[in-house]
Amino acid sequence: MNVENELRKALRRQSPPAGFAERVIAKAGGQFRTPWWKFRPLVLANAVALTVVLFAGGVIYQRHEEQRALDARRQLVTALNVTRVSLQKAQERIRRAAAKPIL
Amino acid sequence: MFVALEFARLVRANQSMVFSVALRFLRNHEVAEEVSQDVFLQLYQNLGRIQNEAHAAWWLRRTICHRAIDEVRKRKLRPQIGLDSIPDPAAARQEPDWLQNERLRRFVEALPVRPRMVVVLRYQEDLDPTDIAGLLGIPVSTVKSHLHRSLAVLRARLARESARQSEGVCYECGK
Repeated sequence: MNVENELRKALRRQSPPAGFAERVIAKAGGQFRTPWWKFRPLVLANAVALTVVLFAGGVIYQRHEEQRALDARRQLVTALNVTRVSLQKAQERIRRAAAKPIL
Repeated sequence: MFVALEFARLVRANQSMVFSVALRFLRNHEVAEEVSQDVFLQLYQNLGRIQNEAHAAWWLRRTICHRAIDEVRKRKLRPQIGLDSIPDPAAARQEPDWLQNERLRRFVEALPVRPRMVVVLRYQEDLDPTDIAGLLGIPVSTVKSHLHRSLAVLRARLARESARQSEGVCYECGK
């Protein structure tokens, strides 16, 4: 008897039980699922960039609105000054007309 | 997604090798399946370090060898035939020399830990002594020594068993 040949026959590979591969794959997928933030740096970077852009946009819009408000105020003050001067002139004319004697 | 597909492919390609090494060494289906599963889950964690399929096969073979040896030492498994180690009649029919093969598997199981693993790697995986030495981290001369002595022990036991059978002696009960 050739012991080595007999050993090769006796120790021939045996397939694992049915479903072994599926169980291993399922366990690997479940147990070792890592948080999305750990394996998607690009998504995280995009989210951060979007947040920064939105925040910056908000700041810029607010400053724009403030500037518009300042401009509107300035225009109002100018208009009021113009009106005041016009009223003063009109008042002066009326005073002069009232001071002239009636012949 | 790609990682998951790659892992699934490696599992299916190497499951027989990993499970067989564990089973032939541990002689316990339940423990062999558990240890094999752990080795594949370990592969999943280290997938980034695997360079190609050949590397994966080498990595799995080396890991299952060391895990199986550790398992024996941890559980202090003794050579025994549990009910789950006896194949069902259908399996026995598929293996014509089942009785002879089973006897030889029991003899291998009775070998000390390191020589047992050397014999499994040599005659199941068909690895040469240099590859076995690399996997187990032992000198080639030690591998050859283990093989030489193990074959001598197995021949002696088979011869003794044959003699007993021809005399009508039951090996198990010694009657």
